[in-house]
Order: sequence, then structure tokens, then C-alpha cells
Amino acid sequence: MKPLSLYIHVPFCARKCAYCDFASYPGRETDWRRYFDEIATEIRLWSGETDFGLLSERYRVISMFIGGGTPTLVDAGYIGRVIDACRAIVPFEADAEITIEGNPGTLTPEKLAAFRRAGVNRLSLGAQSFDDGLLRSLGRIHTAAQIGQAVTMARDAGFDSINLDLMYALPGQGMNQWKDTLDAAIALGVEHISAYSLIVEPGTPMAARVASGTAIVPEDDAVNAMQREAIDRLLAAGYRRYEISNYARPGFECRHNLVYWNRGDYLGLGCAAHSLMGGRRFHNPDSLDEYLSGGRRLDEAVLTPQDEMEETLMLSTRTVRGLDLTAWARAFGTSFARGRERVLDRLENGGLIETGDGFLRLTMRGMEVQDAVVLELMGEM
Amino acid sequence: MKYDQSRIRNFCIIAHIDHGKSTLADRILEKTGVMQLRDMTDQVLDSMELERERGITIKSKAVRMPYKAKDGAEYELNLIDTPGHVDFTYEVSRALAACEGAVLVVDASQGIEAQTLANVYMALDHDLEIRPVINKIDLPSAQPEVVRQEIEDEIGIDCEGCPLVSAKQGVGIEDVLEDIVKNIPAPSDDIDAPLQALIFDSYYDNYRGAISSVRVKAGSVKVGDRIRMMAGKCEFDVTEVGAYLPLGYSPRESLNAGEVGYIAASIKDIADIRVGDTITLASSPAAEPLPGYKPVLPMVYCGIYPADGADYESLRDALEKLRLNDAALSYEPETSVALGYGFRCGFLGLLHMEIIQQRLEREFDLDLVTTAPSVVYKVIKTDGETVMIDNPTNLPPVQEIDWMEEPMVDAQVITPQDYVGAIMELCQDKRGTFRDMKYIEGGRVLLKYDLPLNEVIYDFFDQLKSRTRGYASFDYELKGYERSDLVKLDMLLNGEQCDALSIIVHRDRAYPRGRSIAEKLKEAIPRQLFEIPIQAAIGGKVIARETVKALRKDVLAKCYGGDISRKKKLLEKQKEGKKRMRQVGSVSVPSEAFMAVLKMD
Repeated sequence: MKPLSLYIHVPFCARKCAYCDFASYPGRETDWRRYFDEIATEIRLWSGETDFGLLSERYRVISMFIGGGTPTLVDAGYIGRVIDACRAIVPFEADAEITIEGNPGTLTPEKLAAFRRAGVNRLSLGAQSFDDGLLRSLGRIHTAAQIGQAVTMARDAGFDSINLDLMYALPGQGMNQWKDTLDAAIALGVEHISAYSLIVEPGTPMAARVASGTAIVPEDDAVNAMQREAIDRLLAAGYRRYEISNYARPGFECRHNLVYWNRGDYLGLGCAAHSLMGGRRFHNPDSLDEYLSGGRRLDEAVLTPQDEMEETLMLSTRTVRGLDLTAWARAFGTSFARGRERVLDRLENGGLIETGDGFLRLTMRGMEVQDAVVLELMGEM
Repeated sequence: MKYDQSRIRNFCIIAHIDHGKSTLADRILEKTGVMQLRDMTDQVLDSMELERERGITIKSKAVRMPYKAKDGAEYELNLIDTPGHVDFTYEVSRALAACEGAVLVVDASQGIEAQTLANVYMALDHDLEIRPVINKIDLPSAQPEVVRQEIEDEIGIDCEGCPLVSAKQGVGIEDVLEDIVKNIPAPSDDIDAPLQALIFDSYYDNYRGAISSVRVKAGSVKVGDRIRMMAGKCEFDVTEVGAYLPLGYSPRESLNAGEVGYIAASIKDIADIRVGDTITLASSPAAEPLPGYKPVLPMVYCGIYPADGADYESLRDALEKLRLNDAALSYEPETSVALGYGFRCGFLGLLHMEIIQQRLEREFDLDLVTTAPSVVYKVIKTDGETVMIDNPTNLPPVQEIDWMEEPMVDAQVITPQDYVGAIMELCQDKRGTFRDMKYIEGGRVLLKYDLPLNEVIYDFFDQLKSRTRGYASFDYELKGYERSDLVKLDMLLNGEQCDALSIIVHRDRAYPRGRSIAEKLKEAIPRQLFEIPIQAAIGGKVIARETVKALRKDVLAKCYGGDISRKKKLLEKQKEGKKRMRQVGSVSVPSEAFMAVLKMD
């Protein structure tokens, strides 16, 4: 029986944030029903014999992630029906992790209770910052106070696994503001914190502001300092860093995200959802309308050993556990170190990687330049 | 048309740049009817794309035109086109030697310019009849009478009745043709003497093999004759002779004394045909070759490498093809630690080098990495042996060198008086020795300097242009070798020497050059995982240092919902970028860095 993870994309939000370039559509309330009907249809397609066998016989769901957009924006009934539909075609493990992503400004005790009843047991809140000025400039619809209220409501509803997403490297964000945000997040006692540095994506309002000079992103050194501040404060508060941007109290690591980094099988449903199933990658169209008109499983490709090696390297080195060298040798029939002796020496002497106990992992410094380190390790691969 | 020397006119057109030489040539082709209007692209003779774009003539060509003159007789006019740049001076001089006269085109609004004079002097050296033509009379600022007077006063040519034309509008073209027929002498060559044909150009034709463009100075040649190259010492059987049309060949039974045309003889290697050489018959050879042959020697060398090592074969094929039409280009395989497999190429001068690079990139779609140009140094070793070095990497160890010599040129600058100071300063900066200064017509000055060639190929042209706002003209000729205090300047990246960046410089120049190259490299090399020291060194002694700081941050914060395509794309892009870089030890150096060294300030 193979473990399976499910991803459900909810491409709706109240308002597009300034930095957002995900598939997310504000103001399409009239499409909500059609969209969830379409997902139900898509799920049914997976109920019979598939390219990957009969899912109900081959797989057990270990995690499910309902992301967006803002999944907590829509009526809880939709969410419940999607989860039920999934359960109908592939059994869930008893302790399966079921996460819903949400905006603190969209929560009510009733909604949270309904999510709980539907089986959701983990809540991931897009807090981003505890500075109201920064929240406004990011285009967030919530305030710092609402984050605290959301956590309290969630606790009352019975959520005992809560994540807060935080952002640094924001234009206008000083180190002190960042420290305050970290402290405020810690003070709320959540089990998990993701700290992401802002990526200015082309085509977003943020990119236009940066280009015109009305927004200035901090220098690389300042960004690194913010990340180190996060590491210091979160570790001191009892969290452990288990991935470049993720911190958790022991036992509360996000199982779903670990599946992405460890390249387990996952099936994405809904528009813009990506899948990795049985060594193949495919995805649904980014456009809501294309999805609604039946667009499915685009760019489907069987991964070559070369792809698998590159993916394994670039994803596993994001985690603190690192690259499993024994598993590599087993999977690819050759030792990772072969032909890389000099590069490995140089990176290790330079304090960017560590090897030992059968793993290769990036040091704290190495993680700051993970892309470049991976590129070095790829070599002629 | 029957062979009749008295009806032949061999001429060329000479002019200052932009005075309308190519346009006039086009109009003449049109007027004589060898080109129909519908066949005309602008400037037919400049057929290479690059020539048209840069407005310069690179290879010389010849076209035969029939012309029925007002006297009722049929004439055969041969227009021989000449290259217009100092790199190709020798080819110009051979082309002039094939003519009896030259049409001198002068712009009616600009009057005489520096190159007008240089061309006139060269034509006079070849005893050509010079026929002035005043062009661009359609311009509002045209002053044909003033210019006519200027030509008479300053050059001393009688301008009585000289044609006033507008080549652009096709006005006065017939007057030019009539003037040529009336005033340029017919050849008076001896058809009964042994064959002497002067090669003034050569090129490769896919069907005919290597072809010689010739002026027959004595005797005649026909299909089936066995010919001998007098300097080249090789023999061939003639397969075709004939005259040129603007867009092709017109085969004939024979080429006779006084005529201009081509000789094809199934010659496979263009190098067997040397411009300036004399062709004679093997059966009854001429006693002496025509005067003036000198082998063309490359003056400037550089390494040319494919940006992508996989393109090595394509680069070799491309060089081979270019060489078929350009005997002055030389190349030999060479290997560089930093750049891999490539070629050491030799050129007549900087423009020649630039043209070859651009043709490789455009016509053959190649991405190139080029090393800094070098001249050929003479090294006298302690054991008495003399070696010629065209690649700094091959310089023997210092302890084996007794002394070194560098090539010097005789440089001539013609400039408006206002810039004399600036030019003298520049020549001094470039280690020049002042030889002479002469006032010439129109407030102009002729300056003569001895300059080291390695300073000329550095940024002399750019400097001259910017310091004289483009008003000065420059010409040089190789003079010989002079002893000089030269050193090899090496660049070290992260402690490892990068062979492709080494240059030979005068000791006094080493420090500023080293510092400037280090600064350029610092800008051109992207930040990497570790700090990269860049050092300039002479014989192990570091004279300048810069540092490329280590990369601070390079990580994608997030993989969105299992969508790893962004990260994959990013890595793919970085991988591509890295592939295009050269590894010098552990340092990745982008191709641009090697070019950056060439560009100064």
C-alpha cells in the first residue's frame, strides 16, 4: 500500500495581494458552485481504474492540503463535500493530516467548527506580518489583531495544530519590525511557523513598485540577517528548523510539505494543481476558465532518471534531514560522491555542506545560497 | 566585340568616404546597360551584407561594360573597385596597378578631404590619369565652382570641363563616361610578348575553384594553356577565362594584353593565388615578373574560440570557407586551458579582424569568445635562437629571454590644425616617437610618428576618433622591429592563472593595464559561492588585486503547492548560463569577461 497525498486548489480570494501571482481570482463568487462541481467530476475520474491502478487498492492517503487562494473564504460545505468525495475513492489513514489554508480575516467560529466536522485537523494561517502598515502595503485584508483572534477561535474549535505564514524581506520592513512579528507569532503559541522571504514575481503590482522605485527591497545581507534572526528566536522558543523556510515544534512538522520535498506521490485536484504520480508529473491549467471547460493533466511527462536525480537533489537539500546518500545509491545505482569528490571537498571546506551518517545536508550558510550549491552539485549531470 | 586595345579603358574610382563612390559606380553600371534598373540593389559592387552596412569595400572586384560613345565607336570599359581601408592598402595598390586611369569623386559641398588626398597620391604613384568628377551637385550646400577651384589649386589637376554630377539623381553620368573614353589612355600592352598577368584579387567560386582577377599586361591566355605563378612557383591548366559581369561571368576564348578579367584553373587552395603575383605561361614564360609583389603578412593575431565547445567543428568549417575568399586570413588550431579548443587567427589589421569575427557570427551563426589581439613579438633567447611569438602564452620563461623586440609602424595622421595638440599627446601616451610635421592645404597638418603596433591595436583608433571628433585620418605601414622592455602580464583568478587573459605589454604600461583589466574582470565575473581574488601579476609578482565578493543569497523561498516547475526552470536557466561560462580552476568566467579585457574605459 503506497502513501498518497492530495492537494485541492481553491482559486478564490477576497482581494489579490500585491505580491501574489498564484492562480487566484477575486470576485468570482458566482463560479464557486460550478467550480466545486467540476472538482467533484474530476475526483470521480480517479475512482475507477487509472494509469496508476485502482487508487482505492493501491494507495492510502496520509495527508491532504486544501490551499489557495483563500479556501476559508468559501462556504465550509464545499470543503466538506470535497473531502468526502476524496474519501469515497481512496481510503484515508486514521491519522491523516488534513490542512486548510486560510486568511485570518475570513474566519468565524461557525466556519472553523464546520471544517473540524469535515475532518480538517490542521490550520495554516496567512498571517504574514504583525505590523498593520506592512499588512496594508501588501494588500492583505486582515489586521494584526485579527491574527490573534483567529488563533483563539481555532483553538476553541479544537485545532491543535496551527501554522502561521510570516514574510520578511518586505519593502519598508526593518529588523525591529521583523523581530516584533516573530515574537508576536511565538507568543500565540502556534505549533508551526513558516518564514518566507518575499519573492518579487514579475507582473505583480509589487514588481511594478520595485521597478518604479516606490518600493525598495532590502539588500541580500539584510535579508540573510532577518533569516538568522528568525532561526535564533524560533530555536530559542523551542521550534526546530526542518526546511529552509519551515519551523515546527517536535512532532508538528507538516507531513504534506515533506511529501513534496521527499518526492512522494501526490495528486493535485482543481485548477493549477500539480501532481507527481508514479514517476510522472502533470498539472491542471492555471486558468480557472480553462479548468472549468475541462482542461486536465497538462504537460504530462515521464521523468527520466536525469530528472529524478535533479529533483531529488534540489528538493531534498531544502530539508534539514538532507539528501539520503544510501537511498540515492539504491535508486540510481551509483554513489553520489563519484565524480564529485573535488566539488564536495570544496563545498564542505567552505562551510556550505556537511556529510555524515549517510546524508548530505546544507549548513545554515549553505541554505542561504541553496540554488547555487545545487547547481554546483549538479555539475555535468 | 573584336579585340582592339585602343577601345579599352581600365579605370577605378577613388574618393573620400561618403563622397559617393559606390553610388556613382551603380549609375555607371546602369547607364551602360549591364545592369537593368530592376536588378539594382543599392551599391551593387558591395555585395557582402557587411560591406553595405558599414559602407566600406572589403574585396576588390572588376566589371566589364560595353559603351557606345558619342564618337560612334564601341568601347570596353573595365571598372575595378578598390577596398577603402588602411588594412587593405596593399590590395588597393594592386588594383590601381591594373588601371590606366582613376575617376576622382569629390563631394560638391565638402570639397577635398584627407582621404581624397591620400588616394590621389597613391594613384599618382601608379602613374594613373586622374579625372576629377564633382558629385552631389543636387545638394543645397553644393558649391561646384569653389570645389573645382580647390581641386585645381590644391591637387594641381586641370578641372576644365570636369563632369558635374548627381549620382543620386543620375545627372551627368554620360559626361563621366565620355570623359573616361576621351581622357583616360587606352592600354598599350604588347600582345606578342610572353604572358604577364597581374593578379589584383582572388576569391573562391564553388564551381570554378579559386579564381584570379587579372590585368593582362603582356601576351594572352586561353583555355587549355598551362600557367605558372611566378612567385608561387606552382602550375595549373586553365579551364576558363573571361570577363566579369556585375552579377556573374562572361566566358571568352582568350584574355589579351590590356584586358581585365578572370582566370580559372581548377585551383583548390586560394593560398596558391597570391595577390600581386604575376601569371605567365609554362611553355614560354616571361623573363621577369611584374614589379611589386610582396607577400601579405598578418600583423594582428587573436584567439577565436566557440562559446560552446561543441561548435568547434563548425568554427573550423567556417574559417575554412572564409579563407577560400580571403588569402590574408590565417588560422591554426590552438588550445587554451581556459577556453578549450579554438584557433589562433592572423589578420591584416584590426578592421580585418573585426570583419572576420562579425562574418563568423552572422554568416555562420556562431557564438565566439575572442581573446585580446596581439602582435608578433621577436624574442631573442639567451642561447641565440630567435623565436616569433603571436600568443603571449607561448612566451619562453623570463630566464631564457635575452631581449625582446616589438613591431613598429610608420604612422601618418592628417588632421585639421586644431587637433594637433591632442594628437601629439595621444601619440606620446602611446609611446610614439615624433618624426615630422607638415602643413598642407586648407589648414591641415600631416603628422608622422613611429608607433609600436601593439599600442595601435589597443585603443588607438577609438582614442583618435574621440580626441579629434572624427576629423583626423590615420594610416600606417609596418616599419620593422625595435628592441623594447616588454613583460608578460598574467591574470590570476582564485590563484590560478588564466592563459587566455595573458597579454604582453611594455613594462611602463603593465601597472595601469593590470589594474584596469582586474577592474573589468571584477565587473564581468558574477558572484559565486566563494570569494574570488583577481590578481594581475608579472612573473609571479602581484601588481594589482580586486575581489569578487561571495554570493550572499540565492535561494527560492518556497515551492508552491507541489509546483516545482518554477524552481526547475530557474535551475535550468542557471545551468544554461553556467554552461556558457568557462571554468578557470573553480571559477566560472562568462564569455563576456574575455571581451571586457579588450574594451578599455
